[in-house]
Amino acid sequence: MKYAFYPGCVSRGGCPELYPSAVKVADKLGIELDELKSVGCTGAGVLPQNITDPINARTFAKAEQLGLPIMTICSTCTGVMAQANYRLKDDPNYRAKINREYLADEGLEYKGTTEVKHLLWVLFEDYGIERLQSLIQRPLKGLKVSPFYGCYLRRPPEAITPTKELNRRKAYLDELIGILGAEMADISGKGKCCGFPILSANEENSLAMVAKHTGESKEKGADFMVTPCPLCHLNLDGNQSRAEAQTGKEIDLPILHLPQFVGLALGFNPNEMNLKRHIVSTTDVESKVSMMS
Amino acid sequence: MQVTFKVYRKDPEKDGKPGRSNYTLELAEDATVLDALLKIRDESDSTLAFRGCCGRGYCGECMMRVNGSARLACTAKVPDYIKKGPEISLDPLRNVPVIKDLVFDWDAFMWNKIKEVKPWLETEGSPVNGENLIADAAMQDLRKVMSCFYCGMCDEGCTVLPVDFDFLGPAALTKAYRFAFDPRNKDSREQVKIVEKPKGIWDCVHCYEADEHCPRGIEPTKRIVALRDRAFNSGITHEAVARHHASFAASVKESGWLDEGRLAVESEGLTNVKGLMKLLPTAAKALARGKAPIPYMHSKRPDADKIKKIFEKAEQEEK
Repeated sequence: MKYAFYPGCVSRGGCPELYPSAVKVADKLGIELDELKSVGCTGAGVLPQNITDPINARTFAKAEQLGLPIMTICSTCTGVMAQANYRLKDDPNYRAKINREYLADEGLEYKGTTEVKHLLWVLFEDYGIERLQSLIQRPLKGLKVSPFYGCYLRRPPEAITPTKELNRRKAYLDELIGILGAEMADISGKGKCCGFPILSANEENSLAMVAKHTGESKEKGADFMVTPCPLCHLNLDGNQSRAEAQTGKEIDLPILHLPQFVGLALGFNPNEMNLKRHIVSTTDVESKVSMMS
Repeated sequence: MQVTFKVYRKDPEKDGKPGRSNYTLELAEDATVLDALLKIRDESDSTLAFRGCCGRGYCGECMMRVNGSARLACTAKVPDYIKKGPEISLDPLRNVPVIKDLVFDWDAFMWNKIKEVKPWLETEGSPVNGENLIADAAMQDLRKVMSCFYCGMCDEGCTVLPVDFDFLGPAALTKAYRFAFDPRNKDSREQVKIVEKPKGIWDCVHCYEADEHCPRGIEPTKRIVALRDRAFNSGITHEAVARHHASFAASVKESGWLDEGRLAVESEGLTNVKGLMKLLPTAAKALARGKAPIPYMHSKRPDADKIKKIFEKAEQEEK
């Protein structure tokens, strides 16, 4: 089982704990990663489509040359690439135009066959839950965990959940919490926005969203929240103390990346999953996990 | 079938405190929620206030929450909502000023916001024979947007409105798109500039909830993204957003990927001491945990020159 790995900027920038955790987990699972190094940023929903569609088409063409599907560890990278891929696959004339105008110079062509998948989807759709279960060394019993997906891993439907069967993707994280032995502390905003995209345009609203989601999770008794999106992590973890200051309410909720959560169940210790690198202290989670093993 | 409706009540002429009334009634198997409300008002409680008009899902007047989810009462079939038990809760939309019972303030919710985006067309010159003719193909895309019947479902689904009621919201922003992208409009930037103001397109988190909620498939989020892309390509007028986007674009153009440290400081503005100071506590914590990206210490991706070439060509094409 092999993927063209697209780690994304944040997994080595603002969340440098994510990249090595994901690589360790993939290795333990026996998922082979061929990292795409000579490709560009997806645009993250910031840069306009007329610029990012050709850059993403180039990424898809590179993966196509390797004959591999793309695997990401970021909801935003997944969503932006899946939307671009939908446009390029759906409209052969558009794809031909992008190939002609932007990729032909390098001798590249995107034929429209590349799949883009988040690690979360890979676990359920390609790897198999039974196989994952057979590798669990530390069922996370007694931990209460809230899911937080990141908008781009749930919508828009034509790019993310195009069939009735794939609508299941909206519940993968909920399911995974139970599969790894933990209990879910469900929250109403798990599929909503974390506020990160408007941090520079409207900081107050952005922090209000952080406070709403993390506050609700804390009230439901969660030990931590898990997210497949490092951009959500940047806001929910990195800006949680500012959200607390804005609302005058203490929250103090650790936020774990998806691979860290899976990694703990696979038997890695909290240090190996770089939990110490988070802004909100993970000490309580670490001690609970240590008592399990 | 016998069903009990638990209906939200609030009467400003009494104490104005929210409460709930329960009505149990016998309904025909094909009854809608609006049928039930009419029956309650006719037969048991003439003080119950709600809106309803066309009765066939066209006018959008009877929007309310049925068992918690926003629905048109006239198309919501009662049997679909009693699968778990013979009780249905009815509430006004979330985050709207309630006037009485299920009647809320549509002006504050949507119409005042639509008025803000200058929802009309100004064309150039005088039309030939009083008509401004246009090729059918040019209207294809807009016709979809014009099928909006103002039910407000997109605003109900919006992620931002629950934290900020002053946000213009997807319904009004989609209306701005309808005129900004009309080929007859003499200034395609006018509506874009209006919605670039605070509480407009840059306050949208583009979470695509609106697209999922729209019953007509108008895809309001994609319209907002198109307005943002047009603003980017013709020069963003919102100061903070312009700095953020310029920095993002520059680092992708120069190195192929994002320099996050640079983005953080340049988004605040290099001469904005107060803004930069605000970053310090978080940056200090991040540094202590060995995770703050140092601005401008960013390596180029292999093939960065090729990505730059694509970037510049795409920018040129747009001009």
